[in-house]
Amino acid sequence: MTQPLLEVQDLRTVFTTKDGIVKAVDGVSFELLPGETLGIVGESGCGKSVTALSIMRLQRPGKILGGKVMFKGQDLTRVSEYEMREVRGKEIAMIFQDPMTSLNPVFRVGWQVAEPNRIHQGWDAKKAMTSAVSMLQRVGIPSAASRARDYPHQFSGGMRQRAMIAMGLTTTPQVLIADEPTTALDVTIQAQILDLLRTVNKDFGTATILITHNLGVVAGMCERVIVMYAGKIVEAGPTKDVFANPKHPYTWSLLKSIPRLDEDRHEPLKPIEGLPPSLVDLPSGCAFHPRCSFKVERCSRDVPALLRVGETQLAACWVTQAGTELKGA
Amino acid sequence: MLAKYVARRFLASLVVVLGVTLITLVLMDRTRGTYVPGIDLNPALRPEDIARLRADLGLDRPFYIWYITWIWGVVHGDFGRSMIDGSTVMSHILDRLPNTLELTGTAILIGVLLAIPLGIVGALRRGSKADHTMTVVSVAGFAVPQFWMGLILILIFSVTLEQHGLPWLPSSGAFSAVNGGDIIDRIEHLVLPATVLSFFYISTWSRFIRSSMLEVLSQDYIRTARAKGMSDRRVVYLHGLRNALIPLITLVGLELPGLVSGGLVVEVVFGWPGIGKLAFERALQYDYTTVMGVTFFATLLVIAGNLIADLLYGVFDPRIRYA
Amino acid sequence: MIGQSRVAELEMPGAAVEGVSSRPAQSYWNESWERIRANRVGLAAGILILVFALIAIAAPLFSALLTHFLPQTIDLDVTFHPPGKPNWLGTDELGRDTLTRLIWGGRVTLGVAFLTVAISLTVGSYVGMLAGYYGKWVDDILMRLVDTVLAIPAIFLFILMSILFRPNPITLAIIIASVGWGGVARLVRGEVLSVKERDFILATRSIGARDFRLMLRHLLPNVLPVLIVSASLGVGQIILIEAALDFLGLGIQPPTPSWGNMLTNAESYFFHSFWLVIWPGIAIFATVLASNIFGNAIRDAFDPRLKS
Repeated sequence: MTQPLLEVQDLRTVFTTKDGIVKAVDGVSFELLPGETLGIVGESGCGKSVTALSIMRLQRPGKILGGKVMFKGQDLTRVSEYEMREVRGKEIAMIFQDPMTSLNPVFRVGWQVAEPNRIHQGWDAKKAMTSAVSMLQRVGIPSAASRARDYPHQFSGGMRQRAMIAMGLTTTPQVLIADEPTTALDVTIQAQILDLLRTVNKDFGTATILITHNLGVVAGMCERVIVMYAGKIVEAGPTKDVFANPKHPYTWSLLKSIPRLDEDRHEPLKPIEGLPPSLVDLPSGCAFHPRCSFKVERCSRDVPALLRVGETQLAACWVTQAGTELKGA
Repeated sequence: MLAKYVARRFLASLVVVLGVTLITLVLMDRTRGTYVPGIDLNPALRPEDIARLRADLGLDRPFYIWYITWIWGVVHGDFGRSMIDGSTVMSHILDRLPNTLELTGTAILIGVLLAIPLGIVGALRRGSKADHTMTVVSVAGFAVPQFWMGLILILIFSVTLEQHGLPWLPSSGAFSAVNGGDIIDRIEHLVLPATVLSFFYISTWSRFIRSSMLEVLSQDYIRTARAKGMSDRRVVYLHGLRNALIPLITLVGLELPGLVSGGLVVEVVFGWPGIGKLAFERALQYDYTTVMGVTFFATLLVIAGNLIADLLYGVFDPRIRYA
Repeated sequence: MIGQSRVAELEMPGAAVEGVSSRPAQSYWNESWERIRANRVGLAAGILILVFALIAIAAPLFSALLTHFLPQTIDLDVTFHPPGKPNWLGTDELGRDTLTRLIWGGRVTLGVAFLTVAISLTVGSYVGMLAGYYGKWVDDILMRLVDTVLAIPAIFLFILMSILFRPNPITLAIIIASVGWGGVARLVRGEVLSVKERDFILATRSIGARDFRLMLRHLLPNVLPVLIVSASLGVGQIILIEAALDFLGLGIQPPTPSWGNMLTNAESYFFHSFWLVIWPGIAIFATVLASNIFGNAIRDAFDPRLKS
């Protein structure tokens, strides 16, 4: 088995709000293998973005209460701020959801793409800019040399996201975390950006964590997928297995709620009843039980652990762990 | 593009300037009637002398004729002559302008230089003791009447210190009448009025920088900057400050007319021989050529200030385009 | 705050159940009122202003029952009497009781301030609504007028006008409001422009409501929050302007006491009678401070987005 590149163990991140303590990430563990694309999927507020930010230690004002983020033999939750800066943008790069607001409006795009190399490699402006321009070219920005002198507002949304990706890749990092990279973009542009991410993953061998709420994106991009609900992982496994045969009622309902083009018989779409729970005041037991159509008496009492269910999958569900198949209803 | 924008703004300004002078003139005309300032103080004047004086000053003509003549003069750089002492209004303005610029320029400079660091500290250490103290002081700064603060400073630093035989600061004028006028003497005179004026600017601008900085620091691109692995200092001072300072340009630009009129009350309290005090005294004496000259001059500054602020905005914020 | 970051809306239909909220639905006004009540400091400032206003209204009562002086009573035997009995806050150069004059001065100062706000708001919102609602040349003319008024350095305008009018409290309020309405007009116009295109205004129009009725019944309530905020933030500024004009001798004329004109001659006396400078200044300072704090509370309550 390959050695994981990044290993997250029992990560816990909380936010203190005036309504109480919010456990945004509550005991999340997973690993990222070299070169793979891992999907993290869930509704907004499920803790997937905070998980990513916690890996980068950018979760402020949240606090990491416990757990480990092992990367190259060190625990990123414990290294000094100075050492962490050496990791950010150099070893692990991150791109964000909204390319409209994620680039600094008062600096030229080329300058911003060149900045990581100036900080981390100590390159002079000229050298960094040359490499920035060639990177912009590689991510598909036409006449990159002149576009590099533009300001972000002169770029379209898709172009900005390309620039963000270029900015992440200039230092050839080993991990790229993409937090909802296509959510803010038009559908056609989304496809182009996903395509680019796929190419990047192949050409540079950069391991990618792709955070999204869009199951279609996961299906097309990721070898493995993690499903999160209310700060916890509820299911994990190879994408095709999870999609073909979900082992957690939440995943099951998610798949039922979107139209499938690849299935012969067309079942009526079924929205999930109810709303995601408030993270301040979680339901007892399994957080999903109030919305679950398979729930048994135990679900409201005890919190299920994430355990192996079936050949390749992990699920945190009393029902499937007891061997029941999720069907019908 | 830019030239067109400036030209259009200039034309719009012209309308405003005409409006301003007209309002001023109507007010002055309603005020003065056909009164010649100082005329009743000299019993030796015969009726024909008064008539000749009125004719000289143009007071026998209807006010719109007078206005057109005045505008004609202004276009040619002639602001007319004072109704009281007969010297040109321009010479009065030029005589007082350096004093006013010395006072207000110092105050604005100190204001900017102190407000920026104070605002940044407040934003970075939000909720700290330093932040709370600054909040309290600047809230007070908004509420304290400038003339009263001037009086209190005079009471403490001039009157009381002098009474106790301690070194004291002068409370009136821009320099000592006797053996004065050197740089130390001028600075001594400058301390109190400049303190009053800059206190107000610091209060306003530091609050402004603070909230502007807080807003900027919560932006997505700041998170991007951190994710690139740069130091806090680089994040705050390069990526943050550059954005946070943009709105300050407008604020300081809007204060440009304050260079002339903003110090009026302070000039009166401290007997500072500036333009504001000139306008105040001459208005009381119905010297309306002088008042109109000064008002016109100050209005030009308002308009220029707005325009300069807008243009600077474009220099510092690449998103702005002039159309 | 967190997790529910700025992810626009979820595409998953599961979450798209509408109209279910954990909190009871509250109207905008109720919520604003709740926010004001929750702001202790703001509320205290508001109460302080109320108390000042009540004292000002009841000034004759205070004269008769508490201080036993009238503001214009001259007694040359007790000039520059330091604070003590029977003149608790001392007397001035004519032996007039400072406390009594402060109370009566507050009557003038607060009265002028509130009147000014009322005039500015009435004129400003009317002009703003006309300009915003009718647009085109009406808008052009009115807004150029506003530009012009706001381009004159206000202090010069005040000086000129007070020479013209020799103000009493009412004319003084008109003078200060002659500049103040401009800002209000701009504000209201902007708000009207944004409200005008909303559906309900078009709907009202389509059922044939007359312009004036439309403005009064439908536009006004929508610009009301803006007006309230600008009024409450304006009071402090107006008191400062009024005090400055009085101080310069351009506002309320002696012997009527006002906080500003009580300071006019102070410079000549304060080397031996400091209290003449202290009390009126503190009165102005405290009132303006309270108005500003209360104004900020109001602004935060009505527009939580602007909260600093």
